[in-house]
Amino acid sequence: MTTEVTPTSVAPKRNFNFLFALTLVGLLLLLCIVLSIATPSFATGNNISNLLRQGSMIAILAIGQTFVIITAGIDLSVGAVVGFSTVVVAGLLQAGVPIPIAILITLAVGLAIGCFHAFGIVKMGLPPFIITLATLTSLRGIGLLITNGSTINITNEAFTLFSRESFLGVPNLFWMVVIVAIPAFVFLHLSKWGRYLYAVGSNPEAARLSGVSVPKMIFIAYGLSSMFAAFVGVMLAARLGVGNATQGDGWELQAIASTVIGGTSLFGAIGSVHGPLIGAFILATIANGANLLNVNSFWQRIITGVLIIVIVFFDQLRRRNR
Amino acid sequence: MRSGSPDASSNADAQPILELRELEKRYGFIQALKPASLAFRRGEIHAIVGENGAGKSTLIKLLTGVIRRTGGKIVWNGAEVELATPNEAIAHGINAVHQEVVLCRHLSVAANIFLGDEAVKFGLLQKREMTRAAQKILDDMGFNLPADILLGDLTIGQQQLVATARASLRGTKFIIFDEPTAYLTRSEAAQLFALIRRLKDEGVTIVYISHRMEEVFELADRVSVLRDGTLVGTRNISDTNDAELVALMINRSLEQIYHKEAIPLGKVLLETRNLSGKGFNNVSLTVRAGEIVGLYGLIGAGRSEFALSVFGRNPKTAGDIVWQGNVVDMRNERTAIDLGIALAPESRRDQGLNLNLPIGLNINLPVYDQINSGIVVNAGEEKRRADQQIKDLGIKTPSRNSLASSMSGGNQQKIVIGKWLNHGAELFIFDEPTVGVDVGTKAEIYRLFAKLLKNGAGIILISSYLPEVYELADTLHVFRDGHLVGSQAYREKTHEDILAEAIGV
Repeated sequence: MTTEVTPTSVAPKRNFNFLFALTLVGLLLLLCIVLSIATPSFATGNNISNLLRQGSMIAILAIGQTFVIITAGIDLSVGAVVGFSTVVVAGLLQAGVPIPIAILITLAVGLAIGCFHAFGIVKMGLPPFIITLATLTSLRGIGLLITNGSTINITNEAFTLFSRESFLGVPNLFWMVVIVAIPAFVFLHLSKWGRYLYAVGSNPEAARLSGVSVPKMIFIAYGLSSMFAAFVGVMLAARLGVGNATQGDGWELQAIASTVIGGTSLFGAIGSVHGPLIGAFILATIANGANLLNVNSFWQRIITGVLIIVIVFFDQLRRRNR
Repeated sequence: MRSGSPDASSNADAQPILELRELEKRYGFIQALKPASLAFRRGEIHAIVGENGAGKSTLIKLLTGVIRRTGGKIVWNGAEVELATPNEAIAHGINAVHQEVVLCRHLSVAANIFLGDEAVKFGLLQKREMTRAAQKILDDMGFNLPADILLGDLTIGQQQLVATARASLRGTKFIIFDEPTAYLTRSEAAQLFALIRRLKDEGVTIVYISHRMEEVFELADRVSVLRDGTLVGTRNISDTNDAELVALMINRSLEQIYHKEAIPLGKVLLETRNLSGKGFNNVSLTVRAGEIVGLYGLIGAGRSEFALSVFGRNPKTAGDIVWQGNVVDMRNERTAIDLGIALAPESRRDQGLNLNLPIGLNINLPVYDQINSGIVVNAGEEKRRADQQIKDLGIKTPSRNSLASSMSGGNQQKIVIGKWLNHGAELFIFDEPTVGVDVGTKAEIYRLFAKLLKNGAGIILISSYLPEVYELADTLHVFRDGHLVGSQAYREKTHEDILAEAIGV
């Protein structure tokens, strides 16, 4: 017809997302530069490795959380799933189960927890906030019951050694982020499932009337989130050498903070895999730098809060100007 | 107040209440509104017509302070004003009633009417008094609505009346109605018109924006026409007619709008046998290839519910759906889509579109199963398909990556249609495809129907706008209270008979 269409014209949305990601990377670099100047111990191999280990677990949680938040939901249970999973994997290892099988079972338990969330949301009509809040509290209870409130020490050296070793000079735990993030990126940004996820978050009724199975996408999002949390539980058990149901306390909030700092909208349908990753490492760098500078750890919490407000505020400004 | 003369011409010399002088709005290089000069008289009903994207929304936003002008002047009561913020507009007495209701669904009708202006005594809300006062206002306006129930419990049409009541309080001198009847039933529309006339008699100036010509001629004193961001003319309503206005709007004649060709009917595509479901009972009808089956009735008569059950969205409770000779179990939407049924639903906003996602994603949503290479979406094919629909349907967008929410009503409808053209189907169900759509796009949509029919598809056309189904449908069924109450072949009965069947007199 009459309108001239220029398929090559610049994509405004992706452009903005790209700029936002750049801003976040810039912020992360700025933090690193400032800390390198402020304290000699920051830019040492040891400390950077430590920082990568600290950040990688929250980063993986944040990716799973992003899937859920894109559907306009929330997963408050991930911290509790981490703690519970350390108990599961430690218990299995101490019972003599081989490492790969113990890990697979733990991941399966995580997946089952996520499917339970999706079941509550899809079949029972519960709000995501409620069903995952319920799991948050009861899962810690179950973990404490199983262990009778005690800690399971892991005597399997091969398992705990993994978390301390490096590959190509980069800590193994950080490689785990890469192993999770690449398929996650393909899933969210390149596959049809990712498109469906955004569609469900934007308008579930329209998605449904276009032939998208909304329940299936809810199961996938919550299943992945809990499975990623179980994976983080395995990493944490390896790092600490123990299984304890109280581990990972408050990590759900750190994961949500990373996700939001990474440009994900809590209203759904907006978010990426790379944003939350950078968000998680910004938070880890702040925590690390504050430790090195002997800043009172209470201040870290305040700084994190202020950072969330500032970044999300600028993100809102950017969207409004669009 | 004014001494009240109903004769529009005697007001001509009076000082205009609002005057636009070379008013202009640019977004970068795009001129959304080219310099326009127009004077609104005190106490007149001034209609503004034009196609989607002609600049009507821009004009409303300028007058209500939502956006700022980039050139020209706005003169209010003889003094130049900024109109930089919505609050400034409201302070001057300029209010707008929007097409979509922007009120709080979880508050009572009374609370909504007094929102931001609550009666307070000793810091406590005077709930009972407010309810009483609101009830009096509603009764005075002739709206048969209770003030104490939740807004969300009302129909969209009734909510629109509440929004109107709210806008006409607080010393309002100038009200803009943006397509107020799009979701109203006939009786609700009649109540609204009575209120509009009363406001006019009180000296309030009304700007009335509508796609429905008969409303313009029923209500307005004068009418201004916008085309492509240009104000192309203003007429006294007594000096003009449909044909002239349409010509001004689109340079096309009325006969060309309802486009119907003689297309031979083919095999039976769909048959429903005594089908019942949520909202409708015992409906039997058939749709053949090459045929438009019109479903007419009032809003809530069960037509959309029938369509949703045929499409597998709602389960049937009795009867059979027969697709090309086979009884099928329409388990879900996917079943229907895979059989070759497409549904462009009633509400673009709530059911048709993923508004905050790109146009391209919306268009490709039903076909992502088909355009993969391995586990990833074939990005080249995805782009090609989106651009194809944008080009074929003439969707006015800079890019397939623009958000669907940034499009006008007509273009949004084209996205919904493009989604199903992209997927392909043998039976297209169009539910109110032209609500909030301008004449030019309407004509394009009707032309598209003919093209689909010629390719062997069948169409179910659901509409509350009688001329549309009357002129287009090969078979027209009338729904009332969930039942099919009458059927006719093309132009077999009169408008009056069909209307009587729909209302039940």
